[in-house]
Amino acid sequence: MGKAKRRVPEADELNITSMMDMMTIILVFLLKSFSATEVTVTPSSNLKLPMSVADKQPSVALNVVVAKDAIIVDNKRILNLESYDDPSYPGQKMYRIPEAERPGGGFDVPSLGVAFQDVVSQFDKIGALAKKAGRDDIGGFDGKILFQIDKDIPFTVVRDVMYNAGQAKFSNFEFVVIKTGE
Amino acid sequence: MSKREMPEPEPLNLVPIMNLVTILIPVLLMAIKSLELAVIDTSLPAISPSVSTPPDNIPDKPPLSLKMAVTNQGIRILGANEYLYPGQVKTDDADEEKGKPDVPCKSNTRCKGVDDYNWSDLSQKLGQIKKAAQDDDRDSDSVVLISDNNIKYEILVKVMDTSRRSADGTKLFPSVSIAGGTNQ
Repeated sequence: MGKAKRRVPEADELNITSMMDMMTIILVFLLKSFSATEVTVTPSSNLKLPMSVADKQPSVALNVVVAKDAIIVDNKRILNLESYDDPSYPGQKMYRIPEAERPGGGFDVPSLGVAFQDVVSQFDKIGALAKKAGRDDIGGFDGKILFQIDKDIPFTVVRDVMYNAGQAKFSNFEFVVIKTGE
Repeated sequence: MSKREMPEPEPLNLVPIMNLVTILIPVLLMAIKSLELAVIDTSLPAISPSVSTPPDNIPDKPPLSLKMAVTNQGIRILGANEYLYPGQVKTDDADEEKGKPDVPCKSNTRCKGVDDYNWSDLSQKLGQIKKAAQDDDRDSDSVVLISDNNIKYEILVKVMDTSRRSADGTKLFPSVSIAGGTNQ
């Protein structure tokens, strides 16, 4: 029996024009909603920022993170916080700077003070180098701190961190919050 | 003359563009911010040497010196009793003895959390003070925040939000300073 030779139809080229249309729209949308923020927040269960209706954009400054477990200055873990049960908020944990960290008994926390002083001296060094190079516009100390503080941290800890920063001549404090649409 | 055949135009090769777009989309999707951040500007209360004012410029009335004390029982508003309680003789000291806040918690006992504070009442009272101070030529933008030691940061942020502007967007006291509390 003779076999009839069937002709295999030539495969059509894939039409990707409609896909291109879709991709172009998605690309434009993503480019529009993309904005490089200068402040980076590392998400963690120990750092939940509070919500606020504030609308000022964050700018570059020294980052100080006060999480539930530690205080971090310029990405360096300076000290650990301890948690305890506070009768004011039954069933909830409160956080404090360990007493061992303040030998003087006052607001002074030497480890924090040293960390802030280190940052100030780095700023001064950069400022001096820039001045030497004839660039007065860069470097120098502006006294600004961006605080990323967990919403459950009590005022005592906030106050002590601010106090020690103030002792190192920092004076302009900005608190990073999550913007709400209200 | 012989008729020359025009070559058929080849379809545009979109594959390299597709490659580029396919790479760009995941990159942008990863970089897109899922939450928007903002900052609250604040400062330590300024300590400055007294500046001698020329005699002509002495204001008739001193500007409002408003303070808010955040406690576990609620929020006390200090320095504006004549606007909050007009016609009544009420001093901050007497209030302190009673320990009664001007804006008590909704549960009327110890505030259990940020939602237990009466934010609408605080906003309304601050609006009342602002308006009265403006009418009295004692308007000021500053408020000093004094807090109990165990007040949570979330509550402080909410107080700062409420003191900056009212629910309808009216500017109240946008310049917030945080005062140090007592060391216990």
